[in-house]
Amino acid sequence: MPPVPLIDLDDVGLMFRVRRFGRVSLKEYLLHGLFRRSKQSTFEVRALDHLSLRIEEGDRIGVIGHNGAGKSTLLKLLAGIYPPTSGRRQVRGRISSLFEIGLGFENDATGWQNITYRGYLQGESPKSVRRKMQAIADFSELGEFLEMPVRYYSAGMLVRLAFSIATAIEPDILLVDEVLSAGDLAFQAKARERIRSLMSSARAVIVVSHDLGALAQLCDRVLWLDHGTARRFGPKQEVIAAYTESFAAGAQRSAA
Amino acid sequence: MTRYLRNVWRLRHFWLALVTMDLRRRYRRSMLGVGWSLLHPIAMTAVLCTVFSTLFAADVRTYGPFLLAGLVTWNFVVTVMSQGCRCFLDGESYIRQYPAPLAVYPLRATLGAGIHLLLGLLVVLVFVWCLNGFSNVPALLSLVPTLLMLFVVGWSVAACMGVINVMFQDTQHLTEVLIQILFYVTPIIYPAELLRQRGLDWFVAINPAATFLELIRGPILDGAVPSPATFALGAAAALTSAALASLILWKTERRLIFYL
Repeated sequence: MPPVPLIDLDDVGLMFRVRRFGRVSLKEYLLHGLFRRSKQSTFEVRALDHLSLRIEEGDRIGVIGHNGAGKSTLLKLLAGIYPPTSGRRQVRGRISSLFEIGLGFENDATGWQNITYRGYLQGESPKSVRRKMQAIADFSELGEFLEMPVRYYSAGMLVRLAFSIATAIEPDILLVDEVLSAGDLAFQAKARERIRSLMSSARAVIVVSHDLGALAQLCDRVLWLDHGTARRFGPKQEVIAAYTESFAAGAQRSAA
Repeated sequence: MTRYLRNVWRLRHFWLALVTMDLRRRYRRSMLGVGWSLLHPIAMTAVLCTVFSTLFAADVRTYGPFLLAGLVTWNFVVTVMSQGCRCFLDGESYIRQYPAPLAVYPLRATLGAGIHLLLGLLVVLVFVWCLNGFSNVPALLSLVPTLLMLFVVGWSVAACMGVINVMFQDTQHLTEVLIQILFYVTPIIYPAELLRQRGLDWFVAINPAATFLELIRGPILDGAVPSPATFALGAAAALTSAALASLILWKTERRLIFYL
């Protein structure tokens, strides 16, 4: 019997409907919408298209592709933030995600307070947050800055804090989006180390990155996304080689 | 449905912490602390009392508490409407990061407003007690179901306003106009009898704000338990608004992120 997948995407599609001129106002809607079809044209962006993916226990999967290929969208769909507009998404297990971690701070609250809010959002209880708090603070190396409202933090400090909170988890399924470049050099090394250890303890990992070297080290299999579809999915060497080859071919063509 | 509610409950530490923070932030900004937010209805009452007692010879001992109770309750309605508009936008960064049930965000807005309401009503009680004393203390117990129903209406209004505001960005401005209009058509600074005398009973009955004002004022000011009919109107408002809000959330729960 084949193992039950942790994540099963079956022919998943995700379509964004983008309005050409931003959001409609209620006044506009009542004036125009009631009497005739809204004049505002929308165009559709197919972010993911007929994508099927099975992720099983122990999988370490890297996702590559050029900008706008749907990598980040795929992670958000896996995390349950975007619902699929077609197809089926099934997940067994708790998902922890490391993306857009720089968002979601309460500016007027102190670093300590933000640690608790984010901890609660990640499903921690007051007890477990209290237990982890010191470790998070230590890892962030922010010291007494934690007593200050987050409003006064520098961008780098925010990233450190966010990273320290987001990675203070026991992940089941871990989704990572290029956070490997967080903070200054010393912190980056530490962050990479932390991600490695998280990845080794998680039951399954999906990493999005442009750093092919890092992916080759971290992953077993690689998914190459191209315009929202799986161009290729398989053992890492094969896919990465094909990917770099397509780039070389593209470069040659444009040079010729 | 139960799974949804369980999820909301599972995240209780999250939204409770945010409510506490919202309150703390509001109070820390000013030296007066809690007093500051209560100062507004009290000052309004003082001013209106002076004006009305000189202009129309209103009796301050009855009109003062009447007005204060009305303004404190009205404050809740305004906060729920205006904060409700912003509830999903304020939570946007959380929504983009974690698939928490959307009901959590209007809950945050309503709980904060609800705590203010309780504090305000406490002031009203003290005020009434000093001026006139209570003729019928057990009647005050009827405030418990009233406030629960009002809270349900508040959450529903916040949820609906929040969703509409995400879809249509000018909702917030229209809401301000709406609040102004509502203030004058609702018996806050004048008694509901004025409307009833003109045969506008139906107009009072269809305004949930008027119903809840009656439910709150009755036991506090007159020591009288409101009539079952008034309670029924309040319950109807709570049920319909909750049903509408649930329907809207159910329809948009998964799609709202595309509009943020």
